[in-house]
Amino acid sequence: MAGRYVDVGHAVRQSTLSGVVGSAPPVVRDVTYDRIRQARAEPQNWLTYYGAYDGQRYSPLDQINTENVRRLAPAWVFQAGASGVFAGASTYSFEAAPIVVDGVMYVSGWDGWVWALDGATGQELWRYKHAIPSDTPLCCGNVNRGVAVAKGKVFVVTLNAHVLALDAETGECVWDKTYGDVRAGESGTVAPLVVKDLVIVGSSGGEFGVRGHLDAFEVDTGRHAWRTYTVPKPGEPGSETWPADGQAWARGGGNCWVTGTFDPELNLMYWGTGNPSPDFDGAVREGDNLYTDSLIAVDPDNGEIRWHYQYNPHDVWDYDSNMEHILFDLDGRKLLAHFNKNGYFFILDRTNGELVRVAPFTDRITWGEIDADGKVTPKVYPKDEGEPVRFWPGPAGAKEWTHAAYSPRTGLLYVPVQDVGAEITLRHREFKEGIPYWGAGVAVDLEDMAGSVSAFDPSTGDEVWRWSNDVPMCASVLATGGDLVFAGEPTGEFNAFDARTGELLWHFQTGSGHHSSPTTYSIDGRQYIAVPVGWGSWVEGFLPGMFGTPHGDALFVFALPEE
Amino acid sequence: MNETRAVGGPPGLDTPNDAVLGRLPVQGGRVGYAEERPDGRLHARVRIPEDELVWDPSIVVMPHGGQLELELVNDDQNTHCALLPSNGDHQFLWLPINSRGTASLELDGPGCYWFSSIIGNDEGQGLIAAIVVLGESPPEARLDRPPQPRP
Repeated sequence: MAGRYVDVGHAVRQSTLSGVVGSAPPVVRDVTYDRIRQARAEPQNWLTYYGAYDGQRYSPLDQINTENVRRLAPAWVFQAGASGVFAGASTYSFEAAPIVVDGVMYVSGWDGWVWALDGATGQELWRYKHAIPSDTPLCCGNVNRGVAVAKGKVFVVTLNAHVLALDAETGECVWDKTYGDVRAGESGTVAPLVVKDLVIVGSSGGEFGVRGHLDAFEVDTGRHAWRTYTVPKPGEPGSETWPADGQAWARGGGNCWVTGTFDPELNLMYWGTGNPSPDFDGAVREGDNLYTDSLIAVDPDNGEIRWHYQYNPHDVWDYDSNMEHILFDLDGRKLLAHFNKNGYFFILDRTNGELVRVAPFTDRITWGEIDADGKVTPKVYPKDEGEPVRFWPGPAGAKEWTHAAYSPRTGLLYVPVQDVGAEITLRHREFKEGIPYWGAGVAVDLEDMAGSVSAFDPSTGDEVWRWSNDVPMCASVLATGGDLVFAGEPTGEFNAFDARTGELLWHFQTGSGHHSSPTTYSIDGRQYIAVPVGWGSWVEGFLPGMFGTPHGDALFVFALPEE
Repeated sequence: MNETRAVGGPPGLDTPNDAVLGRLPVQGGRVGYAEERPDGRLHARVRIPEDELVWDPSIVVMPHGGQLELELVNDDQNTHCALLPSNGDHQFLWLPINSRGTASLELDGPGCYWFSSIIGNDEGQGLIAAIVVLGESPPEARLDRPPQPRP
């Protein structure tokens, strides 16, 4: 019977049936640690996740400015789409921060996608697709927040907790290391951070009762250099903040699922850690639960935690504290700024973690309060089985992972604000590996919500201006040398504000909600603004009132019209 | 490759245009186990029977992650195709009437990976199948903690 078959040969890569060029110029070959360290000296590029190690999400590019931004228009659009059956078809979201090196853009999508694109035209130069198990445990959707580049390679993590080094010219995999256990509920969503000769990644899985960790791999070889757990074992420093008996520590969470920042002079990385597990059932983990919900200052050479600052001791509100730590100097002092889910923003001395200032950045904070000395006083929290409690901000926080920005021109911090509450009902459950471990039912409000882009003066803690929205703002902010602040809305508008006044100067309807990190770059003297657009992820957590927003998957790039 | 009958479903769901218009994906399909060759590569075979709108087996089991050499046969009287998961890129294979071809797949595991025929509404009518990879994550990636209870 074999003879009657037509032999169709061997399967081919799907990309060969597309317009993919197959290669990119060797622009990443010379991206070294020194160049990343001096990233702001080459503003035509966006070399690392936040644009520079300081996390400011600021670019000096000023071709697009307050005078001409009204003429901003799409230059090109890249659409990813979907084919086949994949994980989280209802939750995937385009969350990345596009990296650009000398005209080539590197950007990751959901479900293991990485693309190299021509930054001027949008032409797809190469693509990489990692095969992701559809049953990967994901608390919050099929997402990835971006790539890192150095020494001819593009680094990305996968949902099934691998870290990959791809050849930046071809997209072929150079090395592939597993750094998490999917059977334990771990996954990978973070954008890697390259520091010196290491690529550093954190794990996800804080809703599955894992034990958070940072891992470092050698850029050239993929050799594992170190692992640092964010929850200590019994006997280690900080273990006294966990129950002395039992295994709460082993399931304690504290994941680093958002990229850290780095001060080369102090040789310290600043990573935020996630919620303790279970999120809301504090009775099984009495104590402060270090180093969850903390800033940890980490030595990049060996992973040692030098010092820490815990924002939410014994968190029972799901107030992850992963979000960016923006490094800036004020009056000769080395500081950092952090907007926490709990509704307060913190200014710390980044040499030692000393609190300089703490102030609220949202209107409704009912879970408790933090005084000027940083003392935390809980007021409303789940404590009785089956008894609902309502508090603001809800578990997605007054600001979720999406990032604030800082402009050294204005000296202001710009933050996307979410004002939405939630009702939490404590439901104790036994821990089982690989099964969600929240410890409560969660119902985030569907109405009575608001949002804003707000500007704060870090020297006083005062709000300088506010652009108010009728729904929360759930996307990262970008600040530029043109005195503009860019931020996308859940309803699809991509906005440009005057950085000094908050006046809305320009907007463009992209057709889907924003939950990503816009970046900017220039090619041959033309400035571009890039923003991935694709509503999804943990919508039921940060804005279930917009569950019906169209589910997009496009990357928009804007520029001023050519002469 | 060894094959066993999967758990059967309610009447009519495993036949095209009976209870529903197509057939419920994977419903009533068979389980096949990839064979490990001396070189360490795994091998399996799937086919599309005539007028059944199903991959047979509809679940291919790999005992561990690695390379899978998959033979695909179309015994149907309509053209189909296969979009298959593999690290690097999806693999694509046309499957005209009475055709056969091969695919080399690289899968990490553990976990479940789907493949399908992505033309017309083949997926909606039943031409979806799974590759299930057994095993554990490598020891160096696991958490430093005592063994934990599983469901």
